[in-house]
Amino acid sequence: MFGKHIIRHLSAYHDGQLSAAENLRIEAHLEQCGKCRGAYEEIRFGARLASSLLMSNAPDAAWRGVYQIPNATRRRWVPRAALAGILAVAVLFIVLLIETRRAGLPSWEVTGLPGTSRLRPGEVLQTDSSSEAQIKIANIGQLTIDPNTRIRLLVTQRDQHRIALDRGKVEATTWAPPRLFIVETPSATAIDLGCKYTLEVQDDGSSLLHVTLGLVALERGAGETIVPAGAFCRTRSGAGPGTPFFEDSSPQFQSALEQVDSLQEGSERSRQLGIVLREAHIRDGLSLWHLLPRLDDDSRGLIYDRLAQLLPPPPEVTREDIIRLDPKALDVWRKVVSQLWQ
Amino acid sequence: MEEAQAFRRLTVEFRQQDAKSRVLMTKHPIDGPTIEACQRGDSDAFRLVFEACKDRVYSIALCFFDGNEATAKDITQDVFLKLMITISQFQNRSEFSTWLYRLVTNACLDRKRSLRRFLFFSTTRELEFLDPRSSLEDKFIQRELESSVRKVIARMKPKLRITILLKYFDDLSYEEIAKVLGCSAGTVASRLNRAHRILARKLAHLRGALASGE
Repeated sequence: MFGKHIIRHLSAYHDGQLSAAENLRIEAHLEQCGKCRGAYEEIRFGARLASSLLMSNAPDAAWRGVYQIPNATRRRWVPRAALAGILAVAVLFIVLLIETRRAGLPSWEVTGLPGTSRLRPGEVLQTDSSSEAQIKIANIGQLTIDPNTRIRLLVTQRDQHRIALDRGKVEATTWAPPRLFIVETPSATAIDLGCKYTLEVQDDGSSLLHVTLGLVALERGAGETIVPAGAFCRTRSGAGPGTPFFEDSSPQFQSALEQVDSLQEGSERSRQLGIVLREAHIRDGLSLWHLLPRLDDDSRGLIYDRLAQLLPPPPEVTREDIIRLDPKALDVWRKVVSQLWQ
Repeated sequence: MEEAQAFRRLTVEFRQQDAKSRVLMTKHPIDGPTIEACQRGDSDAFRLVFEACKDRVYSIALCFFDGNEATAKDITQDVFLKLMITISQFQNRSEFSTWLYRLVTNACLDRKRSLRRFLFFSTTRELEFLDPRSSLEDKFIQRELESSVRKVIARMKPKLRITILLKYFDDLSYEEIAKVLGCSAGTVASRLNRAHRILARKLAHLRGALASGE
């Protein structure tokens, strides 16, 4: 494993993040390699410097700032002892209630788009070629709407916030627990599993998802495609999500994968699958894993062979199990493969 | 061969020294009952969470923004505000600390983006690093050293910056950092490698100071 230089493993070695066997190999290499010893000395010194960071005490004002947030968002936090406070909250609550009823429905704040300040369920927001907008997704995140984009707010409630992206591009950032924010597109549904992504829908209904932080699940029917940070996934109208791939996979891999996704079973698809398997590196296990249930038995056997080289399955998982898509065997192997997106 | 043995011995000694000298923070795990109490609206429980985590959140934000106390305070407030508002939706599908640090990471990166067009002024005292040969006060050296380290970290790319801060302010494992940042443990290792080497190169002139402090 460590026949070549080991510089990229040295911080993990220093921080005790490697297995005992890997540590031994690193130490053996360091004894013989002056270049890596020099790099290790540098990393050790860098770590020593970083260790000098000291914890700072948060000022008391930080708590006051939290505790004095508007009562509308923390109405459970009313100090019980203060009668005057309760009365004030009661009055505020009544005012808010009246305001809310007057407004009709819960809505999201919109900025940057002249003439539009709120977006309510059932309403459409559309930008032209020279406009864009920022939207607060209730209290769980932020949405940036690019020019020439049309979205509809479908639902906003405590356990779900859902929009439809008819065309154009949005960038979503969320800080809520997973599965609260959902974007419907003509070809698939994107379910936020945390953090940040962009989603672009073309006029023909196809789309491109790019996740930059966290995870997104794409769903159509019963299937779920996991797209982790650093990965893309195309979807096609009528066909649903394609196979996800990491942005650092080779151009040949990406091109052949797109062909595999779009071609019917036949010799050309087999040829393209051959390129995919030949070009695949460890991180491309993400794509190979998602290809398994999508292709025929023969192709599945070939995918198993390559994926097993890259991410060996536990001993109890056999080639035959995977070819017949045995759920138990898939679950067991998934625990290995899913390290790519955890 | 003797050189190799000496190196191995030195390596072990260095690692022991590092383990002793590292300023690690004691973890304050927030348990399930505390989170449930927060979800029921128990203000004492939320105060407990705040007290347990506030210094780490503040320290990360302070270092991320090169010692800007006002911004760090704002970030701390934002993080706990979001925590308070959304804690009722937390479903224990992930570790609480992972969620908290994800909020901190997002808050820092978002704020950095919004500050991009403004000139950045630090409200902290600007400390110049003194020639270690002229100072014998350990505390002073420590403060100067930390200030120098913080300045270098503040100039790293945001992804390197947040990775090294999560590592050194809460001693998170590579796996835990990866979960917070939504990347692989290998990516975390790579970022820390780069961050450590940047620190070592930019502050190479401090080797003497550290050596004399040993």
